[in-house]
Amino acid sequence: MRSRDGNHAFSLSICAIILFYSLALSAGEYLISYRYIVKDTIIYNEVLNISHAMHKCYGNPSNILFLETDSSKNLKQIIAKNDEKFRNYLFKLGLQIEHQEETINLQNTSTTIITFKTTCFKVDFNENFAKIAALK
Amino acid sequence: MKYSIALLTLLSAASFAAQTAVTKITPMPTQKVNPLKTSCPKQHETSYLQSAVLKQNKQLLISVVGQGVAPTNTSSPAQAYALAKRAAVADAYRLIAEKVKGVKVDGQDYIKNMMVKRSTIRTFVSAMVKNANVVETTFKEGLCEVEMEIMLSHSQFAQ
Repeated sequence: MRSRDGNHAFSLSICAIILFYSLALSAGEYLISYRYIVKDTIIYNEVLNISHAMHKCYGNPSNILFLETDSSKNLKQIIAKNDEKFRNYLFKLGLQIEHQEETINLQNTSTTIITFKTTCFKVDFNENFAKIAALK
Repeated sequence: MKYSIALLTLLSAASFAAQTAVTKITPMPTQKVNPLKTSCPKQHETSYLQSAVLKQNKQLLISVVGQGVAPTNTSSPAQAYALAKRAAVADAYRLIAEKVKGVKVDGQDYIKNMMVKRSTIRTFVSAMVKNANVVETTFKEGLCEVEMEIMLSHSQFAQ
């Protein structure tokens, strides 16, 4: 028997289904890697690679990040707009550090390579934000 | 003849006895060791080791300050800041890796005709660092300093 205000449980479930499909339809999987080199305390080279996954990634989504999108669905543009936030997110996930230092006749040179290994991310695009989650 | 030989032996014995007497009178100066000075560093070392050891059910906070310099050919102060910060973060990560994982050191000296011709020291650090946090960032006169912290717990290293 429906109340005069309507069936809340039914309408909520319909809303949830619509939301789920809207997220699922605009979801995508991306492979992201990041690497930069510092020589003698000065940054030398930086590379951020973003690519669509060619085949399905397996794993559970973890470490979710929300980025503002301005209704854009281009991940490269979204990341470029939220550069600092996204980089801090990658740093939290874990970085590989390779450091070499050489002192010849008391003259020191050093090279540090910071690498974020290629990881698959699930990205859900929405009206105002994109939800990024690392698949582990 | 016999008397002269006996006299010579007596004289030589007397001179030897006199020499030993002289050496006894002037002893060699001995170096005194201050017991306080030798014991102090040991106490300091043990206290440092106690604080650095990661105990069970306790967490260890490691804090480092990384430094980075902006390149000379930057187009704006903002770009200089961003690049210097990136270099400083890399330095801080390296310091964390050095503290947690350790450093491999390799040294080589080339000596020719009793002179050092070439002295080389190489150090290597390789580690994976997760969950490090930037606490504070300062940028003054082209030098960026980033303070980073990482919390270590015993369970992360338990096998």
